[in-house]
Amino acid sequence: MEYLATIGVLIAIYVILSSSYNLVIGYGGLSTVAHPIFFAIGAYTAGLLAIHSSLPAPCNVLLGGVAAMIASVLLAASALRVSGDYLLIASLGFQLGLLQLIKNLDFTGGPGGLTAIPGTVTGAARTPFFLVVSGLLAVATVVGIRAIVNGPYGRAITAMRDEELAFTALGRDATSMKIVIFAIGCGIAGIAGGVYAYYFQYISPDQFEVLQSAAILTMVVLGGMGTTFGPVVGAILLLAIPQAITFLNLPPGIMAPTQGIIFTVLVLAFLFLRPAGIVGLARKTL
Amino acid sequence: MLDPVILAQILWTGIATSAPYVLMTVGFALTLKVTGLWNFAQAGLMAIAFYTMFFVLNFLALPVLVALAAAAALTGLASLLIEIHGLQVLRDRGSGNLTFFIFTLILSEFIIYVITLLFGTEPETLFKSILSPVTIVGNVAVSDWDELAVMVASGGLILLYGFLTWTREGQFLNAVADNARLAELYGISAKRAWRVVSVIAALFIVAAMYLIGTHGGVVPNSPLELILTAVIGTLLGGIGRVFAAAAAAVFLGLIQSFSILVIDSRWQNLLLYGVLFVTILLFPRGVRLPRFRLSLAGR
Repeated sequence: MEYLATIGVLIAIYVILSSSYNLVIGYGGLSTVAHPIFFAIGAYTAGLLAIHSSLPAPCNVLLGGVAAMIASVLLAASALRVSGDYLLIASLGFQLGLLQLIKNLDFTGGPGGLTAIPGTVTGAARTPFFLVVSGLLAVATVVGIRAIVNGPYGRAITAMRDEELAFTALGRDATSMKIVIFAIGCGIAGIAGGVYAYYFQYISPDQFEVLQSAAILTMVVLGGMGTTFGPVVGAILLLAIPQAITFLNLPPGIMAPTQGIIFTVLVLAFLFLRPAGIVGLARKTL
Repeated sequence: MLDPVILAQILWTGIATSAPYVLMTVGFALTLKVTGLWNFAQAGLMAIAFYTMFFVLNFLALPVLVALAAAAALTGLASLLIEIHGLQVLRDRGSGNLTFFIFTLILSEFIIYVITLLFGTEPETLFKSILSPVTIVGNVAVSDWDELAVMVASGGLILLYGFLTWTREGQFLNAVADNARLAELYGISAKRAWRVVSVIAALFIVAAMYLIGTHGGVVPNSPLELILTAVIGTLLGGIGRVFAAAAAAVFLGLIQSFSILVIDSRWQNLLLYGVLFVTILLFPRGVRLPRFRLSLAGR
């Protein structure tokens, strides 16, 4: 039961991550791969504050989100000044560079990671508590993003993504809008990172490598990019499949690349055969 | 005061070490110039090139030339297949930049996972020993590897320059790079140009991975970091300026080499990312040096 609840917490965290990534890449049309690094910024900020300060846990998690948001604004403001393509390059460099930094700093725990992050709730109620909290956050994220994209601002986002030239010609500032979308998406990822740090009480740079980028991208593409519930379906499926493989009892040296192969093959297959994803396709069929 | 011999040694080592970066960067920058795509699938091609050579040399125990030929054939074929059955399909469908990016990056990761499954994650070198005989030239130690690296990179650049300048196929590449639609109106096939450039890039990648694999350990993930060097070189040189990108790659190698004088070696990798951000912030269209021209009398 504990095992299933932990999977539930993970699914909720990845629903938050993939939905926020979908806001950036699917709705905003911003090419970035660095979403896991904002997840990392949130996790490390919350984890370090939990160890070194007496601030309450929700405050630390929120500060994790704020730190991720600030970092995302700095990245996007500098890269988008030139063109959308630069954001992609800058984001990749930012992710790899910041991970190098985390690996080399002593106070982040170096390559070994940050251990002994204090738990907020102990005992038997711990996992159910986190399941409820992360579940509520996931629902709030999906509902919040749905509200944004279905409202007037969402229509402006779609217009900006589909016809940037016409959008700009109407006097709207596309760059500012992109920065705002990027900041919201990355801030949400930072909050997910804070919850992750508090639940698992251990974080290491390896957990935020490019493999994570591929995993989150797979969730979004598989479920349906630019759809509200696509990333939810993608996150559930992509976390369920590795659990099924776990039962095969493969050695770790085979398990990790096998999971990676499954992720990447799914993305490639959907990219060519079903670009609209599962939810997008269902919507089209209806 | 630093010893001039030490500075000369660092300078030489920096130039030699940058040779594989130059080759990778040229392949990447040429592809970007002609196709207009940031082709991250080249990271996967790097992995294919290195592990093909590694397999032929260490498992089949065949000579180096066979390993190079096998790597060139396999990497070239893979590059061509990616172009024909991947990129061209997406072009025909009118896909956006984001789709191309997802395809090339994810394909690279797929190749890297397959290679991880086959070869594991231990660092591998092409030969059992990476030690290279050293000659002292004016108090500067010059290894056989240094000489080979500089010769291969210089030779590659000269050949490419000659190809782009004096052959019709090369001139077609330039025409497609300038304006693919206009080039097609003049009877130049853009598809053919994209295929040619994919094979040329593959050959540069094989040469680069041979040098890297004979100088240090490679793990399946290494190409993802190596491609970033090519990206930074391309940005620093300015998009569309292939030979300036090559010069930028030398500059990156020199920065890394000279950095040992001022910073701890563990921070060396971070320097590249620093350069990336400085480039994006200050030189988004590349660094353009002023052109010095000889003013001829009577002109």
